[in-house]
Amino acid sequence: MGRIVLVVRLVLADVRRHKAQAVMLLVAVIAATATMALGLSLGGASQTLYEQTREATAGPDVVALVPDLGSPVAPVMTLLAEAPGVVAHNGPYRVVYATLTAHRVASLVVVHGVAEKPGVVNRPLVTSGHWVRAGGAVLERGFATALGARVGDHVTISGRSYPVVGIAVTAATSIFPWAPGIGPYGGPSDGGGLVWLTREDTRALASQGLPVTMALDLKLRDPDAAQTFIEAQHIATRVSFRTWQFMADQDTVMLRTTQPILVIGSWLLSFLAITGVAALAAGRAAEQTRRAGLLKAVGATPGLIAAVLLTEYLALALLGDALGLALARLAEPAIASPTASRIGGVGGPTGTVIVATTTLAVAVAVLSALRPTLRAVRTATVSALAGTTRRPRHRPWLTALSALLPTPLLLGVRLIARRPGRAVLHACSTAVTLIAITNLLTYYAEPRWGFAQHRGGWGPGLSGLPDMRADHDSRLLLAVTIALIALATVNTLTLTWTTAMEARANMAIARTLGATPAQISAGLSVAQLLPALPGAVAGVPLGILFYGQIITFPLFWIAAAALAILLATTALTAVPARWAARRPVAQTLSAETG
Amino acid sequence: MNVVNAAVRVHGLVKNHGRGQGRVRAVDEVDLEVPEGQTLAVMGPSGCGKSTLLHLLGGLERPSEGEVWLAGRRIDTLSERALARLRRRSVGFVFQAFHLVEELSAAENVELPALLAGRSRREARRRASLLLERVGLTGRARHLPSQLSGGQRQRIAIARALANEPLVVLADEPTGNLDTTATLDVLRIFEDLRSAGQTLVIVTHDERVAATADRLISMRDGMFVDDTRLAGTGTGWLGGLIGLEG
Amino acid sequence: MQDAVLAMLAKEPSHGYHLRARLQQSLGPLGASMNPGQIYVTLARLEKAGLVVCERADGLPERPDRKVYALTPAGQQRVAAWLTEVNWPKPDLAEFHLKLVAAAAARLADPVELVAAQRRELLRRLREVQQAALAEPAGSAAVLLLEGVVLRLQADLRWLAACERAWSKVDDEAEDA
Repeated sequence: MGRIVLVVRLVLADVRRHKAQAVMLLVAVIAATATMALGLSLGGASQTLYEQTREATAGPDVVALVPDLGSPVAPVMTLLAEAPGVVAHNGPYRVVYATLTAHRVASLVVVHGVAEKPGVVNRPLVTSGHWVRAGGAVLERGFATALGARVGDHVTISGRSYPVVGIAVTAATSIFPWAPGIGPYGGPSDGGGLVWLTREDTRALASQGLPVTMALDLKLRDPDAAQTFIEAQHIATRVSFRTWQFMADQDTVMLRTTQPILVIGSWLLSFLAITGVAALAAGRAAEQTRRAGLLKAVGATPGLIAAVLLTEYLALALLGDALGLALARLAEPAIASPTASRIGGVGGPTGTVIVATTTLAVAVAVLSALRPTLRAVRTATVSALAGTTRRPRHRPWLTALSALLPTPLLLGVRLIARRPGRAVLHACSTAVTLIAITNLLTYYAEPRWGFAQHRGGWGPGLSGLPDMRADHDSRLLLAVTIALIALATVNTLTLTWTTAMEARANMAIARTLGATPAQISAGLSVAQLLPALPGAVAGVPLGILFYGQIITFPLFWIAAAALAILLATTALTAVPARWAARRPVAQTLSAETG
Repeated sequence: MNVVNAAVRVHGLVKNHGRGQGRVRAVDEVDLEVPEGQTLAVMGPSGCGKSTLLHLLGGLERPSEGEVWLAGRRIDTLSERALARLRRRSVGFVFQAFHLVEELSAAENVELPALLAGRSRREARRRASLLLERVGLTGRARHLPSQLSGGQRQRIAIARALANEPLVVLADEPTGNLDTTATLDVLRIFEDLRSAGQTLVIVTHDERVAATADRLISMRDGMFVDDTRLAGTGTGWLGGLIGLEG
Repeated sequence: MQDAVLAMLAKEPSHGYHLRARLQQSLGPLGASMNPGQIYVTLARLEKAGLVVCERADGLPERPDRKVYALTPAGQQRVAAWLTEVNWPKPDLAEFHLKLVAAAAARLADPVELVAAQRRELLRRLREVQQAALAEPAGSAAVLLLEGVVLRLQADLRWLAACERAWSKVDDEAEDA
């Protein structure tokens, strides 16, 4: 009991004393776990959304699509509607391939000719306005959102103007822009929006000579056996089947590149979190070791000391994990459902996601706290109290080599020689930043075929719909990259500051020997810049490797980014270095010996 | 024979620092017995091995050879964990540099060993307030070490050393960082402990601190060169110091 | 000590017993061995030397402790002279030093042993003074005096440490030779 009080008290007191470090660990863990939770929840989220929409709209288990190529379609449809295992059906109804323009924006669409009173299967849910009536069109919500159309607007479908009387969602098609399922004449689809018109209006539209496909929605006795049902149908005419499982799966295509961005982003964020927190922890290692020594002297066992040191990191990491999960929960609807084609809420993180992010958070805490903890536990009490632990190793060849260099470089190289591990951390941190930036730039440079586009172009005064998927992904990629750059910036500041604080006695001595404050701060900057250089060089190919395939490689921009990072490093290190170098020499020296 | 138990006993104690050519014998075949209730001062020039001896007695360091017995138990063979448990129960350390936990208040520092020993929070708090009163710092209980003077910090450290009613208090240059006034405050506490029968071993180079002890051992080059009993030999010298006609 | 008694009368005429109380208060444990009669012997001598006059207090003429002593002008001059004196007790170390030299020369005893014995004695004295000082109530004037004695003893102990180092070296050289 008393020992728990003690551990809690020591942890709280230390957190209070080192707020900046606690905040940094917390923020880093929140960023990493939130990103990971989002990345892992996406698949499940779109599945949940589809199922909720299917529930609300009496979604069919199978949709059969037969292109109307002149030969009679009705017998096939009758056969299917009466096939064993079918309990209810909707249709057959016309699907007309048309073009819609509104607000000078054009898009491919499919028009479903529907009854003014929907049947038992496939009852689209009207979210605003009302259902179709003669001369009035209802737009699918995802499409309407992309188009910016509202109830009361007018849209032109293949030359004829219709007022928008309602907006609705359905589970009988995939989300925008994959509503068509199959293309005209049974060919491949370029995607398109979904519009509902009355049967008569649709027939009138089709009479313009537009391609038509007949569709039939089926409700099965055993929805889970939809695939088995399809395989049991042997019909001469070419019929395309869409099971509800297939459509649900198609929804996740929207997130196919989103997921890697988030998951890989979360790895990179975790890596930077470990780097930054480890640098901070290393900077405090001497102090922690001394603290461990005096706790040992009053009778704390090594186990208790390890508990105190690890609990602090673990508690913060778990707090960060919880906050990260909460943040992911808040951001999930926006990120998991980029189109408005589905209704309902996302379920929140599942057990697997919680386990994964918690593992990540614990790993960050343990990896960054392990070395200082082990050192503190292992150091003999007497030397821990005397503060004589872990002097930097003497590296004669580096020292000799650096003697040939100009003063700032000499100081910089000697600073790196004091703590080579930290230089490696900094190089890795720079490399990670460049990996993210390379990915972002390459993604932007890649040419894209927009959504629901006409292959021949749209003609003067008209433009296509934006590529929502690319927009969504590039926004996320940008957000992840910004988070990475922010963490890397904090890391650079931390590393410089830690180096400056540790080397202050040596730097003060260098100043008594005649080094100017400017030379000292230049030396500190060099100590950070030198490792950043190989980091930047390694980051570019690694970034390309992460991206996978390259279509266009914006070499100029990537080189510019690498240069910008090195310049930014110099600028960032200059601030703490300058501050540290300007401290009065006597004050530093007396603080060291006191 | 002597019926008083030895609080601390060492036999053939050797401690080497370093190895090979640079090896230094900090403690060289030392035998010592400190009976319960005795206050012992160890004096000697710097580097004579007196601090190392103290660390060996408290189990902070392990001897190269020989035996260390504390409270009738041999401690030089114990594991680090067992040593820590023994320290929290039987040994109170006072250091020259105070070694208080900087982020804990004075009272919390004093509660530390009691909590380590698994006592309840209330018990630890009660004991800490008694000890703070004993060292005259009741009004400073909520201060952080950085808000206290050197003398006050050392008194807190002494209170902390006493938190678990240890068998022996080991003090390493307890007044080394203190001015005369603060030294007198600390000496007053030591004198108080001595008269209360607390076993106390003080390593010091200050004759004045040494003179509070019942017994004085002088060390040189890791060996004992003198062992003097100071107590019980009052000569009335002080009263005769001044005569009206003198 | 006669000068100190005179100086204490400079403030105002005083009874003998009152003077003694003031002395003891200032000296603390150092004044413990002063017996009650001593102050009157001193005062009688001062009276004989014409430095103080004795005035009988009204009332009980037959009681000696009812006498009030006061300074004469000669006494006042003597006090003034005493205050400006800068005399200081001589450090009396020569004797011990010669003891060591002689003991070494004649091989009568080991000087290092003599130093050690002397050191033990001084440490015991230091302990005595120190305990007396710590036992004094807060605000006692005697603490300052005891502090002086402690510092003196500390200085002597340091000198003994120097002696020990020097004579040990002589011993070592003798052995080496």
